[in-house]
Amino acid sequence: MTWVTWRQHRQEALWALVLAGLLAGVTAYTAYELWVSSANCPRIPGGNCLSNDVFGQIAQSILRFNLFQYGLVVLPALAGAFIGAPLVAREIENGTQHLAWTQGVTRMRWLLMKLVLVIVPLLVAAALVGYLEVVLLNVEGPQTNRWDVFDQQTPVVPAATLFALALGVAFGAVVGRSVPAMAATLVTFVIVRVGIGELARSHYIAPLVKTTHDFNAVGSQADPTAWWLGFPNYYDSSGHLLGNLLGPGAGQPSYVIQSFQPGDRFWAFQTIESAILAGLALVILGFAVYWVTRRLT
Amino acid sequence: MIAPIEAAGLGKRFGRTWALRDCSVRVPAGKIAGLVGPNGAGKTTFLHLAAGLLRPTAGEIRVFGRSPQSQLLLLLDRVGFVAQDTPLYPRFSVGDMLTFGRKLNRRWDTAAAEARLRTLGIPFDKRVGQLSGGQRSQVALALALGKHPELLLLDEPVARLDPLARREFMRRLTEAVADEGSTVLLSSHVVADLERVCDYLIIIAAGQVQVAGDIDALLASHHLLVGPRLNRDARLNGVDLVKAQHTERQSSLWIRGTVPTLGAGWREESLSLEELVITYLSAPEAGTLPRPELEEAAS
Repeated sequence: MTWVTWRQHRQEALWALVLAGLLAGVTAYTAYELWVSSANCPRIPGGNCLSNDVFGQIAQSILRFNLFQYGLVVLPALAGAFIGAPLVAREIENGTQHLAWTQGVTRMRWLLMKLVLVIVPLLVAAALVGYLEVVLLNVEGPQTNRWDVFDQQTPVVPAATLFALALGVAFGAVVGRSVPAMAATLVTFVIVRVGIGELARSHYIAPLVKTTHDFNAVGSQADPTAWWLGFPNYYDSSGHLLGNLLGPGAGQPSYVIQSFQPGDRFWAFQTIESAILAGLALVILGFAVYWVTRRLT
Repeated sequence: MIAPIEAAGLGKRFGRTWALRDCSVRVPAGKIAGLVGPNGAGKTTFLHLAAGLLRPTAGEIRVFGRSPQSQLLLLLDRVGFVAQDTPLYPRFSVGDMLTFGRKLNRRWDTAAAEARLRTLGIPFDKRVGQLSGGQRSQVALALALGKHPELLLLDEPVARLDPLARREFMRRLTEAVADEGSTVLLSSHVVADLERVCDYLIIIAAGQVQVAGDIDALLASHHLLVGPRLNRDARLNGVDLVKAQHTERQSSLWIRGTVPTLGAGWREESLSLEELVITYLSAPEAGTLPRPELEEAAS
């Protein structure tokens, strides 16, 4: 089964290797350039110490275009659509499942081996690339807010990859055709990820609330390690809400309130979101296994 | 002796449609059995049930006395299956397909499978997608024969082949199973394909088995009598009538069993296998079959 799976999916494996390798290379290169240059110049707020030579310029452009960060969001979805969805669907499309299921291997074993052999290497690759992003952020220091690139770090990256692959396999098994399964996988993946990011994430742990007369004590400029939720609410001395902005005609503000998630909760949040995605993925994979072994009869 | 395939009251429903209903049949060992019927008659469903690809909605099917659903692992080594349109992995080379067979089967004869394809002159480095239909089905057959199956199930293996390739395929098939002594169940909607190779016939129509038996015995026990036109309501006592057809001047009677004496003007005409099949297919209510008892396998 190992040989068969490899023979069937070596092209996808090559693609995954090339893309993940490219991403890892770019991230590692940028992290290395930042690390080298950080030794020879003082830290500038909001900037970095990249040298002016060609290597530094390349790293600078990579940082400016956020190459790896887009890649880290997009690649899990692509893995789900292009590797997960056809995994079972292509067999059904070509009728080859009837060939595979009448050899000496049961359907359950056939599917489980296929899943393990395809998914595990992809998760390792995803974890590695996501970890390089963590390394890069460590080198960059507090100037980049980790919460802004929440989706691009390990363990969330491999968890999202597992979720996308599970969606793909399940849609592929149920729909039985690759292309509709790919579309369904992409759409569902985006909806769920955006939904979790926008609606659920800030509630994993009840946010803290900062109330202060010092208007500069809220927001990213005050604490760049925290995730500042929504907008600051300014109040006047009698407790009336003035609005989210300070400006002429807004009244005389006395204090400001803004809720936030402190920086030391970051890894707890990463763990919680990874557990949610991985949990969903396992449920979906269980459903796919049930469907293939019980319903396709 | 345990029959290779035995079904009792077997039924399979997809949604609201019964693809196969109350099917009771027994394929005796060592036979090359033909499963014949029009498209959509339930042939594929029956073969898939026997191969463990489907679960019955009603009744039971046993292969070598075991359930292909709950005891599939015990049967996979012994049963070869060639699915409709002989599916293979188009991007695999012929050699890859043989490796596929070797890796996925505990019982596998590499030498025999390679020799079979070499005899046919099929190059091992050619991609399956580039083979001709005839070569493709030969590769599928070699793959199924590679594990020396005691039972070989083939679903319309020659449906897409030209007459020459059909003949070649059937010839190779009969040679192979003659050597091995395996039982074969082969479906087709073309009687001529089956007539050449089969010695046992199962006629299936609208999801039900019409008739099953040795072809020689079937032909010997069925008679076509032609004579002067009978009254449409004429009673033929003691005659097992399969079908009657009346034209202006004459009546044709298809009869099972002993030939009655009908008097002057009646003659018996020869009945070909194809005619026999068509007779049953056009008179679906005529089929009667004793229901075989299922034997339990000694486990």
